[in-house]
Parts: sequence; C-alpha cells; structure tokens
Amino acid sequence: MIRFENLTKIYRGTKAVDNLNLNVPRGTIFGFIGPNGAGKTTTIKMMAGVLKPTRGKIYINGLDIAREPSKVKRIVGFIPDRPFLYEKLSGIEFLRFKAGLYRMKENRLDERIADLLSLFELTDWADELIESYSHGMKQRLIIASAMIHKPRVIIVDEPMVGLDPKGAKLVKEIFKEWANDGATVFMSTHTLALAQEVCQQIAIVDKGRIVASGTSEDLKKQAGVEGNLESIFLKITGGQYPGENV
Amino acid sequence: MFKLLISPRLISFKNGLKRSRSNRMIKILTLTGAGCLFWLVLFYLTYKVLMYFSSQEMIGDILARHLLGMVFLIFFSILIFSHVITALSNLYLSEDLEICHSSPATLTEVFLSRSLYTVFDSSWMVVVFGLPLMMAYGLVYHANLDYYLSLTYVSFPLIIISACLGIMVIMVLVRFFPAQKASDIIMLMSVILIVILYLLFRFLRPERLVNPDAFVHIAQYLGALKAPDSPYLPSHWATDILWARLTRYPASQVFNAILLWSTALAMVVIDIWMAGRIYFSGFSKAQEAKKRSHIGKRMLERIVSAVTKPFGPESASLIAKDVRTFFRDNSQWSQLLLLAALVVVYIYNFSVLPLERSPIKSIYLQNALSFLNIGLAGFVISAISARFIFPAVSSEGQAFWIVLSSPLSARRFLWSKYFAYLLPMLILSEVLIIYTNYLLKVTSFMMALSSVTIFFLVFGIVALGIGLGAVYPNFHHENISQVATGSGALIYMISSSVFISLVIMLEAGPVYTILSAHFKGVSITRIQWIWVVCSFIGVIFVNIFAVKSPMRAGLKALDRYEG
Repeated sequence: MIRFENLTKIYRGTKAVDNLNLNVPRGTIFGFIGPNGAGKTTTIKMMAGVLKPTRGKIYINGLDIAREPSKVKRIVGFIPDRPFLYEKLSGIEFLRFKAGLYRMKENRLDERIADLLSLFELTDWADELIESYSHGMKQRLIIASAMIHKPRVIIVDEPMVGLDPKGAKLVKEIFKEWANDGATVFMSTHTLALAQEVCQQIAIVDKGRIVASGTSEDLKKQAGVEGNLESIFLKITGGQYPGENV
Repeated sequence: MFKLLISPRLISFKNGLKRSRSNRMIKILTLTGAGCLFWLVLFYLTYKVLMYFSSQEMIGDILARHLLGMVFLIFFSILIFSHVITALSNLYLSEDLEICHSSPATLTEVFLSRSLYTVFDSSWMVVVFGLPLMMAYGLVYHANLDYYLSLTYVSFPLIIISACLGIMVIMVLVRFFPAQKASDIIMLMSVILIVILYLLFRFLRPERLVNPDAFVHIAQYLGALKAPDSPYLPSHWATDILWARLTRYPASQVFNAILLWSTALAMVVIDIWMAGRIYFSGFSKAQEAKKRSHIGKRMLERIVSAVTKPFGPESASLIAKDVRTFFRDNSQWSQLLLLAALVVVYIYNFSVLPLERSPIKSIYLQNALSFLNIGLAGFVISAISARFIFPAVSSEGQAFWIVLSSPLSARRFLWSKYFAYLLPMLILSEVLIIYTNYLLKVTSFMMALSSVTIFFLVFGIVALGIGLGAVYPNFHHENISQVATGSGALIYMISSSVFISLVIMLEAGPVYTILSAHFKGVSITRIQWIWVVCSFIGVIFVNIFAVKSPMRAGLKALDRYEG
C-alpha cells in the first residue's frame, strides 16, 4: 500500500532522510520510531505532500505522489504533530471546510460530521471557535477531520500528543478498527509502549536511515536482546536508559 | 532581571542580522533603499515648502511656526495611538508573556521591559521619518548645534509622554472592558483614530490653499490654517522650544523644558503605579477564552452562501473559510475602517475642489483631473490590496499544511483566492471612479475611458497582489497585518505603481490628442490614429502581462514551497 524507493531529503547539505526503501502492506498499522532528529517528521511530511523529496519516490496505493498528488491525497488522511488550525472557524465549520476540499457530496455529510463530533466528544463544542479549544480538543478535531473522507491510508505524526488517557484509548481503538477494515496506518511516535501495543510492523530510523525493521520478534532478533521495545530501541540506536550517566 | 527580560528581542535581532541569507539581505537593502528615497523626498519637499514660506514677507515665519506646531501635534497624536495598539499586543497578547509572568521577575520588571518594547515598536518610524522635516527646518533657518541638541531632549520626553498615555489608556480599557474583548478594543481605537484623522483633516482644510481669495485676507487665511493647538499640550511646549532655537529668540525656554521633562517623569511614575494595581488582573483576564458571539451569525452565513455560489466545492470551501475568518477577525475590520476613511477622504478631496475659480479653462482641467484620477484611484486600490489581497496567501498561516496535504492543487488554490477578491475590488474601483468623475463633471468620453481602464487595471492589481503574496509568503506571522508591512508588500506596492503608471503613460498621449482635436474642432491624422491604436494595444498587453506573470511566479513559488 505504501512504498518508498530510495527516498532522500537533503536540507541545506544535511541528509534528513537518507535513501529509505520500505514496503507497508495494506491493512497494517506501521510504527515509524526513532530518536529526535532521526527524520521521522520529514518522512511523514513528504508522504503527506507537504514536503518534496530531494530524490526517490513515494508510492501510495500504486500511485506516485509526485506525479499524481491530488489522486494520492484524496485517499490519504494526514494528522500532524502540532495542531495548527484556522482559529476563527468553529469545529463544525472546519469539518465542512475539510469535506469541501475532498469534494464530498452534501448528502449525508451532516450525519457524518455529527457522528465524528460525537465519537471525539466534541458535540458540545461544535459551534465554538477553534481558538477557544484546548490543545487536546484541537488534536481530536484534527483526527476527526482526517477521517471525514474515510481515507484508505492514515499518516499520523505523534498521535497521542495532548490527548488525555480516554482520548488516547479512543484513538488506539480507532486505529485498530481502521486496520481491520483494510486501511493502512503509518504512525510516527516516541511512545514506544503505543508502538508495541498497536503496530504489527515497526521500522526504527536513525540519522535518516532505517536501522531495523519488521515485527517485534524480528526486531528482537536483529537487536539480539530480550525484553520490550524500549530495550530493543535503546540497543539499536545506541541510547541509554535515562539516569544511567547521572 | 530587567536586562534579561529584554535580551530575547536583542539577541533575536542580532541573530537575524548575523544569519541573514543573501535573499534576505537583498530584501533588507531594497527596503533600506526605498526608505532612504522616501526620506530624501520628504526632506526635499519640506525644504521647498519652507523656502517658499521664507520668501513670503510678514506671514512666512508665522506659516513655518504653524507648520511646525501641526507636525508636532500630528506626530504626538500618531505616537499615542500607535502606543495604544502596540501596548495591547506587547503587554497583553504576546505569546511569550506566559514565560515572563511565570518567571521570578517582579511585575514591575515585566511591565517595564514590555513597555520598552512598546516604545521602540511605536516610535522608531515616527522618529526616522520626522527627522527629515526637522533637518529641513534646521537648514532653512541656518540653525546651530543648539537646535539639533534640543531636538534630542525635546523628542525624548515627548515619546515618553505619548508612550505613558498610550499604555495608560490600554491598561484602563483592558481593566474595565470585558477582557475577552481585547481585540474589539483595537477596533474601537481604530474608529477613534478615524475620527481624529477626520477632525485633523477638517482643521487643516487643504482646499483653502488652492483658493486664491484666501491670500487677500491674511487673518482669515491664517485662521483657516491654524491647527488645533493648546498651551497645555506637550507638543506645544516642544514646538515653543524648537522655534525659539530656530529663530534664536532670546527668551529662555527652561520653563517649557522643565514642563516636558517633569511631565514625562511624572507619567512614568503614574504608569508604574497603575501597573501595580491593574496590569496583572487585566493580563489574567486576557487569557480567558473568548466566548463566541452569535450576533450576526445568520447574516454571515448569508454572505458566505452568496459569495461561494458560483464556485466548485473545493474553491467554495476555501472562500467560505476566508470570508468567515475575515469577518471574525477584528483586526481585519479595524483596518477596513481605516481604509474606508482613506476612500472617504479621497472622494472628499474631489467634492471640495474649487474648479470654477481656477484660472485654467475648466473643461481641460476637469478632463486632466479625471485622467489623473485613474492613476490615483489605482493607487488607492493598490493600497487596499496591499493590506487585504497581498496577505491572502499568508493568511493561511501555520494551518497551511491543511491545504498542502489536501487534494486541492496549488493552481486552484491561487485562482480561488484571485476570483474571491476580484469582484469586490471591481465594484469598489468602479464606484470610486464613477462617483469622483461625476463630482468632476467630466465628458462622457472620459467617463467611459476611466471606467474601462480601471476595470482592467483591477485585474492586474489583484493578480499582482495574489501572485507576489505567494512569492513572498509569511506563514509564521503573529498578526496578519505584519504581512502587509513586510518587504514583500513594499515590492508589491512598487510593482503595482509601475504597472498603473505604465498604463497611464500609454494612454495619456493618445487621450490628449483626441481631446485636443475634439476641443479645437480639428480631425485626427492617420499617423495619430495609428499611434492611438498602438498605445491601446500596448495597454492590453501590459494588462495581460500584469495578470499572467505574477500568477505564474506565485504558482511556481507555491510548488517549490516546503511547509
């Protein structure tokens, strides 16, 4: 469903993403983890069509995003890590705006919006301007807006930022449900417990390159350690447990 | 601690200069160049006016003294108003205030550091552009060093007084108005400014200057020129001191200097005292979420549905979002009111022109003015576009990722913005040109020519605004009005002025030929006809170029943009 071919991004001489090759099958929740500055957000932004690769290709559902950006974006839902929104729109107006961008038909749109607002517990705030929303509410609204056109691929950067435990649980359940229905979720996260819990496949990225990938079991073998994803991650990325040097 | 609180601004400025990339340096240089040019023009004009005054016996000095008084009064009013606006943002709305207030710094330290930002932000431009005027005075009156030294010790307390007054006004307003309406206060202030501008304009009565009868009655003429001045105004004290230095009037100005400085220092003490009592409660209230007003909601929905009707779903969504954001952003509204004042003053000028008393044959003058009017209306439309159309792309702000990650193509995005602004600008420009031409009582030929010319000019002016707005975007602004004052907006204004001038230059010759032939009752030669036709074809080409080229450049820039 998602394929990278020699994907590279160079910022002013620095390789943020270095020759990535990856294949994510349909219906998978794919975890993309790595330390700060590893190139996760850059990769995600290239997939969402917000950044252009310096070299290489991204194929989503067999379509090259550089050649057919509109067709690709029509089947993708993007959830960025920072909830920048149009502050002067109300929640419901923002969802209508997103629906318009995806050329959604008017019939049953109100029903769809009402369902999403209810699912993300935003119904009572639907008519309030986004500027009065809390960080978590904005994040929930972004996730709701990414779902409005029923995308087949979800690209999500740090999904749990700003969410309360109830919201986080809800999002996890939704991701699992989507994947069961055949959608593909590509998720970048620092929350290793989340990746371990919901991702069927994981890639660990460091300094712009994939240093390990596969299922949790595959990663254990590659790292040569037993234990949870955190110990595998620290072993592979050469990190240490916090406090080891203190 | 105070030094530490103002250090982020200093360090940011230093880093900005140090790490400037070459294109940014070019922008800075262009801006400095344009600023210097404006500075020199201002200096030259003031010098010329003062030289003219000094050549007038008896009244020359009185006129120069009045002008100085007016200049100081206007500067003082502008300074107070600009301090009110920037104080609201620096003391109550800036995002980094949370860090300052949560730090161990005392309230007075935070208040003073923010007040210093406010003084700098509000006064640097007035000081820079006030300088050529003062220099011209110095040159014409052969002032000695004493005058230039006086300038420093006069302007400094004047700035402090205006800053303290501005900050005081905003502290009282935020204290007594519901804090959620902080931005509404800006709107209120803008209305007040319009009233002040209007009153000042009425007091200045520029139309009297073209009235030849006024010179017969000197007393009346001076009465008409007299600015609303009062011996209790600090600007009056400042004028007295400087005038005494310029004319080497022997009487001591110590009393006025003491008045200025003691008022300034007293105002600082009062401001700090007031801040201790009401600043923090106002800041705290300003943090509370603004509850949405439902008044006018139905009206807004009607406007949205009417405006978006002719467009497809993607463009309609984008335009609906822009219209809603525009009507809910009070800072936009306040600017709109200011520009409305600009248009009113513009039309007012035409209504008071004493055409019947002019020594030039009226019909020529009316048609020449009507032609000039095309250019002036074009510049008014450009000024409005610089504020509203040029920032249209930047107005997406940090939420631009939503558009970038959506299936909406850059081309459709840009053209949607273009068409959304085109119709209101066409209506505005036609109303402006037809009404002013009606006041001028021009011939039907000039009426038709002006209407058609401005109609096509608007296509280019809007395209330049949208296109260059995409070439020089600023998605990281704190306030959209910052975009309209950036270097990109200056480049837009220059491009738009060149475009308008080019069209007028191409039309001026042929129109003069046609009008002369008409009034003299002679026929136009074949060569003249060829010239007329070529010029108008040239106008069409310039217009096409003004639409296509900036839009293409904007599209390229958006395609290259990486969010």
